[in-house]
Amino acid sequence: MLNYTIRRLFFVLFVVWGVSVATFFLSQVVPGDPALVALGDKATDEMIANFRVKNGLDKPVVAQYFSYVGRLLQGDLGTSLRTGRPIIDDLRDFFPGTLELSITALLIAALIGIPAGILAALNQNRPPDFIIRFLALIGGATPIYWLAILLLEFLHNKLRILPGPGRLDAYLIAPTRVTGFVGIDALLARDWQVFGDSLAHLILPAFVLGAFSSALLARMTRASMLETLSQDFIRTARSKGVSQSQVVIKHALRNAFLPVLTVLGGVLGGLLSGAVLTETIFSWPGVGRYTTDAAISLDFPAVMGVTLLAGMAYSIINLVTDLLYALFDPRITYA
Amino acid sequence: MRKRIGAAVLVGIGLLAVGVAQNSRSSTLVYGLDSSDLITLDPGLSYEFSSGLILDNVYETLVKFDGEDLSTLKPSIATKWSTKDAGDAWKVTFNLRNEKFASGNSVTADDVIYTFDRAIALKGNGSFLFTDVANMKVGSTKAINKNTVEVTLPKTASPAAFLNLLTFNIGGIVDSVVVKSHVVNNDYGSAWLKTNSAGSGPYVLNRWDQSQQVVLDANKNSRLLPRLSRIILREMKEANTQKIALESGEIDIAGDLTPDMVKAKATDSKFVVYKADSLRLQYLGMNSGAGSLFEDARVRQAVRWAVDQDSIVNSLAGGYARKVQTIIPAGLFGFNAATPYSVNVEKAKALLTAAGKPNGFEFEMLVPQGSCEAGVPCSDLAAKIQSDLAKIGLKANIKQIVQSELYPIYRAQKAQMVLVSWSPDFPDPDGNATPMSDFGAKSLAWRNVWNNPTASKLAQQAALETNSTKRAALYKQLTELQLDEGPFAILYQPKVPITLSTSVQGYKRNAQGQVRFEKISKK
Repeated sequence: MLNYTIRRLFFVLFVVWGVSVATFFLSQVVPGDPALVALGDKATDEMIANFRVKNGLDKPVVAQYFSYVGRLLQGDLGTSLRTGRPIIDDLRDFFPGTLELSITALLIAALIGIPAGILAALNQNRPPDFIIRFLALIGGATPIYWLAILLLEFLHNKLRILPGPGRLDAYLIAPTRVTGFVGIDALLARDWQVFGDSLAHLILPAFVLGAFSSALLARMTRASMLETLSQDFIRTARSKGVSQSQVVIKHALRNAFLPVLTVLGGVLGGLLSGAVLTETIFSWPGVGRYTTDAAISLDFPAVMGVTLLAGMAYSIINLVTDLLYALFDPRITYA
Repeated sequence: MRKRIGAAVLVGIGLLAVGVAQNSRSSTLVYGLDSSDLITLDPGLSYEFSSGLILDNVYETLVKFDGEDLSTLKPSIATKWSTKDAGDAWKVTFNLRNEKFASGNSVTADDVIYTFDRAIALKGNGSFLFTDVANMKVGSTKAINKNTVEVTLPKTASPAAFLNLLTFNIGGIVDSVVVKSHVVNNDYGSAWLKTNSAGSGPYVLNRWDQSQQVVLDANKNSRLLPRLSRIILREMKEANTQKIALESGEIDIAGDLTPDMVKAKATDSKFVVYKADSLRLQYLGMNSGAGSLFEDARVRQAVRWAVDQDSIVNSLAGGYARKVQTIIPAGLFGFNAATPYSVNVEKAKALLTAAGKPNGFEFEMLVPQGSCEAGVPCSDLAAKIQSDLAKIGLKANIKQIVQSELYPIYRAQKAQMVLVSWSPDFPDPDGNATPMSDFGAKSLAWRNVWNNPTASKLAQQAALETNSTKRAALYKQLTELQLDEGPFAILYQPKVPITLSTSVQGYKRNAQGQVRFEKISKK
């Protein structure tokens, strides 16, 4: 298991290297001049030349790449052309927002999607199954921006039962930053009002973000459960008089969970790399918005930094998912 | 039992969420806007629109504009100022007011010197205003005594433009004692000043949470006596988000609603739409170089006779624009209100024939993606111009590309026709006259390959003229020359609609985008 993990971690390095090559050379073929975008249309030729020298854009492409890799090996993702700050500092500011939103969205998706999938499978071709399948179809087909605006309009604007955009009410001041997670920082500062408000602000964006994933999970769980429930060992368990709940939870779900786990890993990876639309509509300061702003400004170092981290996140999540397989299915071993 | 605990937790969260102190709402203004351009809050380095809105309320300048008027400078830190011709240079002297920074330190001549020299040394995006426009160097600013400061400008610089550019971010006077105490590695305190403030304006910077909000608190040492204790600028990129937040009362002002949303709010009794002026000009630029299709001035005139400006202003821009045809925007000194061109297809065709192009010609029109001024989709504006020009036999092939791709082509003199906009960096006619007229300035006249020595000379003379009557006459001559021969077809000057809750009182925004927060109150 340990050898396998080390081997896989080694492959993560290859993935990161591949991502660095791809993003770097793609950035070179995108039309437009980052110096002009950063300095504005009125910049003089001298200002543009100085900017290029300062940011190493005047060097040959290959030299730029090696200098970039050299810095990467020292843990330096470079400096953002747009914000002028080290990219690692920018990400430290933006990543907690994305992480708290993603994890809450994943929890919501799992809490809705998995039970719904089980319920549908147990009631195959009966009304609960039809309803869940219909809702899953709607959930999977609804555009995120539409759902976000609809829920904001009704639950926030009209009914006033949930707060609107942002991580906190505008009239509340966030506690001193310790972890970057507003809720945790509020707990540390024992500021209960901010803590409650930050949790309440999470509900809508996390639900919107989790809606699509819950539909996906419901459909995957249903399909997987149906396949497992038709297996011989389930019939054997039932014939031995094992209760329905035991059959479902202990025997069927555990076996049906492997494909669901794969989907969960993919969903988390996707969420972590930033939910651009949700973050934009809910004014949520996360990696998705940071990346969009960077891309619009041709801020390639920032885009490359985020892409590298996303590549790493996907690789590590895949590794963890594979390791969890062994936990759920003792027949799987890694050497 | 578990269900009850769960319900109690949810109720608790809900109560806490809505339990925000109500009393702070009447003394706090929440302004929702797209402030994603914010990079720094250091007045010596910032050059972005959003930072201007903030810094103008945190730092005072020597002179300022008040209300919506951009033609008359008013006292600010300087109570009096004068310009003297000292033979080979201009000497501009300022008498400083006896007042304090937010820190309690007195505002002195040393602070003015430090501010100006610091901005030049930092070489930020706006430092060209001091170095290239005012031709200043480190050492140009000297103290006569503690409360009098003198700036020496070479005769190549315009004293009027210098005074006007002082109203911009870069002219915000910093507390030199405080800033010097935060200098690290000779950075002039810029790392600290990026997220902190050291000014004498009516507000101080409480905090800036990147991509979330900027919080300003009333400066208790300010002589300007702000009415509200706190201003929060909430970053909201999406117009829909701003609309919902405005309707729910979460924000008091929405800065970036779409024209359709503004139209709806204008008829809603709970909101007021404030039509702010701007100094921007949406224009067509025509490459007038030798051998180009628009080389003959009569072809350029034909374009101006063909474009239906009234329809663009009233229909496409929904009335949130002003019809102008001259190169200096309304609201600035030197504005020429003449609009001699109206749609006249026969006249346009006759001009094309006289220029040797009776059958018209085909060309490429570069258009940026997204919205043009006044929120008009650039594709719609381009399509309208294409249809107007088709009536006189000119076939415009629209090429819509991202701005970052368009500007390198335009700046390299390789565009045949562009549909873009321009705004001056400081509220002085020279901010438009020189770039649009002086080929040697290597700006818009250069990009459109329009080399007219008379226009260059007029722009240079007007910039340096200190007598306002003579200066006005020079700008009249220049704008008339541009109307006749220039490489531009000015389309409109946009208005900026700002939607306010009716509880907001005293909001005014000038064409430079400045809002005096200290004059705003809530009922």
